Amino acid sequence: MKKWLLGTLAAAALVSSAPILAQDDTTLPDFIQHTACEVDLTGSEIPIQHFGDISGSYAFITQPLLAGLTDAAAYYNARGGVCGATLVQENRDTGGDLGQTQAAYDYFSGLENEPDLLVLYASGDAELLRDQLAEDEIPALLSAGSVSGLYGEDGQSPGWIYASNPLYADQFGSFCRYIGANAEQFPEPVVGYISWPGAFGESAFTAEVMSYCAEQGVTILETPEYFPPSATDITTNVQNLVDAGANILYTNSLASGPFLVAKTMVDLGLEDSVQLAGVNWALDTSVGLLSRTALGSDGLPAVNGIIGSLPFHWWSETSLPGIALISEQAAANERPLSAKNIAYLLGWALVDTYIELYARAVNEVGSLDAVDGAVMKDVIEAMDYSPLGLYHFNYDGGALRALPDNRIAVMMFANADMSGVATSGEDAMAVPLADGTTAYVPVLVPLSEFEPAPDLRPGGADVPAS
Amino acid sequence: MSSNIRPSGVFDTSYAQDIALNRTRADKWLSNGLFLLLLLLPLLSSDGPLGLNIVPTLWIGTLNRIAIFVIAVQGLNVLTGYCGQISLGHAAFMAVGAYTGAILGRQLGMTFWLALPIAALVTGLVGLIFGLPSLRVKGFYLAMATLAAQFIIPWLLRYPLEPLTNGSRPLDVPVPTLFGISFAADGAMFYIIIPAAVFLSLAARNMLRSRVGRALISVRDNDIAAEQMGINVFNYKLLAFFVAAMFAGIAGCLAAYNTNSVSLDTFLLDQSIAMLAMLVIGGAGYPLGPMFGVTLVLLLQQIIIPSLIPPLNNVLPGLLPFINSVNIYAALSPLIFGAALAIFLVFNPRGLAHRWEIIKIAWKLRPFSH
Amino acid sequence: MLYSAYGREGTYKYLNHFSYAFSLSKGRGEGFFLTTITTVYHNNRRIITYAIYAIGLIALLLLIVPLLGSQRPYRLVQSTVTGVLVGGVYALIALGIVVINKASGVFNFAQGWMMLLGGLVFYTFFSSASSISPLAALVLSILTGLMVITTNSWRALRNPRSLAIAAGIAAFGFIALMIGGDSLKLLRAIIGAVYGAVLTGLTIERFAIRPLIGQPLFAMVLMTLAISELLHGITQMIWGSVEIPLQVFTGLSQLGIPMPFRIQATETLGGTIIIRTELLLAFLLSLLAFAAFVGFFRYTSVGLAMRATAENQKLAQSVGLRVRTILAVAWAIAALLAAVAGVLQGGASSLSLNMPLLALSAFPAVLLGGLESIPGALLGGLIIGLVQEFANLLFPGTQAGTELAPYLVLMVVLVIRPDGLFGQRRIERI
Repeated sequence: MKKWLLGTLAAAALVSSAPILAQDDTTLPDFIQHTACEVDLTGSEIPIQHFGDISGSYAFITQPLLAGLTDAAAYYNARGGVCGATLVQENRDTGGDLGQTQAAYDYFSGLENEPDLLVLYASGDAELLRDQLAEDEIPALLSAGSVSGLYGEDGQSPGWIYASNPLYADQFGSFCRYIGANAEQFPEPVVGYISWPGAFGESAFTAEVMSYCAEQGVTILETPEYFPPSATDITTNVQNLVDAGANILYTNSLASGPFLVAKTMVDLGLEDSVQLAGVNWALDTSVGLLSRTALGSDGLPAVNGIIGSLPFHWWSETSLPGIALISEQAAANERPLSAKNIAYLLGWALVDTYIELYARAVNEVGSLDAVDGAVMKDVIEAMDYSPLGLYHFNYDGGALRALPDNRIAVMMFANADMSGVATSGEDAMAVPLADGTTAYVPVLVPLSEFEPAPDLRPGGADVPAS
Repeated sequence: MSSNIRPSGVFDTSYAQDIALNRTRADKWLSNGLFLLLLLLPLLSSDGPLGLNIVPTLWIGTLNRIAIFVIAVQGLNVLTGYCGQISLGHAAFMAVGAYTGAILGRQLGMTFWLALPIAALVTGLVGLIFGLPSLRVKGFYLAMATLAAQFIIPWLLRYPLEPLTNGSRPLDVPVPTLFGISFAADGAMFYIIIPAAVFLSLAARNMLRSRVGRALISVRDNDIAAEQMGINVFNYKLLAFFVAAMFAGIAGCLAAYNTNSVSLDTFLLDQSIAMLAMLVIGGAGYPLGPMFGVTLVLLLQQIIIPSLIPPLNNVLPGLLPFINSVNIYAALSPLIFGAALAIFLVFNPRGLAHRWEIIKIAWKLRPFSH
Repeated sequence: MLYSAYGREGTYKYLNHFSYAFSLSKGRGEGFFLTTITTVYHNNRRIITYAIYAIGLIALLLLIVPLLGSQRPYRLVQSTVTGVLVGGVYALIALGIVVINKASGVFNFAQGWMMLLGGLVFYTFFSSASSISPLAALVLSILTGLMVITTNSWRALRNPRSLAIAAGIAAFGFIALMIGGDSLKLLRAIIGAVYGAVLTGLTIERFAIRPLIGQPLFAMVLMTLAISELLHGITQMIWGSVEIPLQVFTGLSQLGIPMPFRIQATETLGGTIIIRTELLLAFLLSLLAFAAFVGFFRYTSVGLAMRATAENQKLAQSVGLRVRTILAVAWAIAALLAAVAGVLQGGASSLSLNMPLLALSAFPAVLLGGLESIPGALLGGLIIGLVQEFANLLFPGTQAGTELAPYLVLMVVLVIRPDGLFGQRRIERI
């Protein structure tokens, strides 16, 4: 099934001429248009309060987030900050332990100056803190999307947490919609769900998704397969699904998760008969880099051709001034290839969002001290903004808790002159890494335009009536 | 033991005096006073009705967590400290209590005050099942049999019992109420959790002083000898498992109602290990051990290490220029915790309670050293 | 109310009743409930035991046989192959734990982190020569040399002969680690990993385990957990949290060895069997390690001394064995085994912070085989590997294989054979 891609995408241009950014060290480039400040905040500090798993099993993706936050905060602070106020970071590490998450939350919520806004990371943290955030009236920005964390158990009680990517269930649904609409490439699609166990890995496998996908003409196998992140070999899990009739494997995991599935598929000789797909985190640099040890029969990494959600703009879209700016800053800060992933982009977008949110909030209430969680919530819900052009920040006046816009993309690898995607190992761009090995450069090519993902929370608008 | 050394002039003249918890007037005033002071704390915080802001609200939440773990670790102390049966599945027992309490409260609409004892009982029975291997296996083999509980119980809760437990998704837990008062805030839960912790700690301590406690200790010290002396070893081992699981069940149920949400991810193996660490650091086999251990470990994890990290993170990258500063930040928390644990173990392998006894004796015997 | 009345006898009695309630007993007699059950059991012990075993066995067969029959033959063969190969990795981890336990009676919970550390040290010197920091190589070599000579006592630092040996070890290490060229990188990495493992093992033993000799067992157990945390911090500080695919096996495909081996058996079994080369290699290595250790403990004086030490440390010391050295050697060997397992697992998937979790699957393997038994570790590893694969095959979608099955099997085996399959049965004295 992978071959269809080559025909459609070989011509895709990867590097368009980057716009020349008018740059000096004191002003922001023109494309960044923040709300003008009515109040001068020079001398005050605005903390970006963030806590999450920085040393545990998700660390390889949170560390680039920290790097992004640091670089972006330094960049903006040098250029005026928030109406003159300086952005400072305050991080707490939970190590992936919910007890520590609770402690970190108690710390922040118990501060003399209660936070106006928090940054969270994991689905599990959001689920734990949902009620407490609502009770303490602190809104939080999140980069994960499980239904129960954002909308509660019944799917109909929006909380105080706002996610920057579509719900995982909705992403799965929009994938089904894409598959259903492209029946010539995916005849008689049967999807097997293979993922990590736990809140994140299991969050896309819901009854609503199954009935929606059935409506789109896509069958989802009743029995999902789960494997732990430490698994050595998942041959049996993959074979179980393929034997049950799956010709598409969908994974709601990240980093080594999609990589292990892809590698097993190559080992089993399923590359051409089974399509690999995944959540937005599966389409990430980390997956592409990991896969450099497991090459398919075409000499390209096994994950070549994985399709999935891409709700953000990506590094390869350098014609966007925001991406050009971040690329330039990542190079200036000597960030390695492994840091140039989705989390680094989100770190920048988050800082830009903070500036805009605070500028609007302060304009509304007149001073920084008067800004509190409730004010911030209103600003978030009323705002329609595009941080650095990376995604569309609009929670529909408060009706939504996860940004709905999504598109489907494919991960391929750049060819030798970076003009398009590689068709085999020979014409692929091989970048030497510091450890003496070489890596191929992952490229995400959008297959569809941005459109709202179906609303598949329990009782959601797009759930088929049964 | 320090309890045998009393200030001069204090004599026991009756049996009641001999077994009293507080033997001197000073003891009595001290313990009652401390308890009352503890109960006053939420009133002095900004959440309290008096509107004072003397005690930070962070303290109240932290004290609640400490008290919940004190209950669980008191249970572990009965099992490990008194009876000598090591357990690596204590967090799983907490999960049983938490889920039983939550399901009773949600699905059956049962009041918290009834759900709590039932949760304790159910957990105790589950503990009995996992105590069964203690009939035949000892030491590390038993540790592994209890480690099995840490894998089997969450599996059961996650898959076969999914309709009840929501599987890997969290379960909302109702707020406990009593005569129309709702115990939603940390400050209100404080008045459930702290008395429970104090009462259960005393119960565990009293158990140690009874015939049951002496039998448990004899099993710990040498189970074969204990059997020779006519103690039904299996009975007492099972009893220890039952009590330990019951305490864990209460702690789990309280934790669920404290955060108003249960998730399986709260009760992982790390938690079991952490509780064992709390027990050993505090002093296994001492009634005060769990209090010392839990307080120290939780303060270390949740207050001390997070406050140490920012200054260290400012200094260390300068001292270690060849290491990426982002790495340093992430590494500090496990590094400091591991180092603190190791240092405590090297210098205090019998726990803080043991050190406390030594200090107490030294204080009472001063100015003499023996 | 309750509390304020403490000094009085009444409350104490009340609390005492409460604690008696726990014991399910009435008054001063034995508990009525449990005692009845245990007495009946004791009187008919043998019959009841065998009846339970028989019922269990029949129930298991009734459950499994139809499931097995409904599977296609190639899946059964594939699961057997995968189970055995994955079991090889578990066996290597288990072997490390057994070696330490055999010498010192400590169950090492840090084996998983020692594995990751070993793999990462290997990775560091497996990289291109230009990226190796001379400082790191120098520090590693010198520290290893110093730790080796001071194994028995710090006084060796005053002895010129020992210092010369240390200098020799350090010099050899430094030169070997700094020789350039990509062709020699495997050799460089192996030397680096050996130095790293020896240093890790000796350091842990010296600064964490040795001070606790004679202290309660729980303290020792907890110490290995503290070591896990420390190793977590150290690996994170030096290497960060990126996932590193270790490219040790890419050389094999350049030699023309297929990755993986595919056996076409569509006619006979209904499908293709794959054998993953890197796991096969891991399996062969663990067989080799197994054979070497059996020989080591049976025929070498150090091995025999280790067994004697495990039997009785005081007695061993009194007949002139250097107990400290022996313990140190055991830890160094365990660290080496961990490094081998780390490199193989890193090559088969990747070096990441999730790797230490793999040891959780090896723990039941250790106990299954018996804490002191080297053949037991191998067999335990293989059984756990097979049980996991077959549980995944027969009960799809339940996660029974990864979480439930190994521990369920362990529970059953422990009830039937409390000391594991090959563990030593000791006669205890009062």
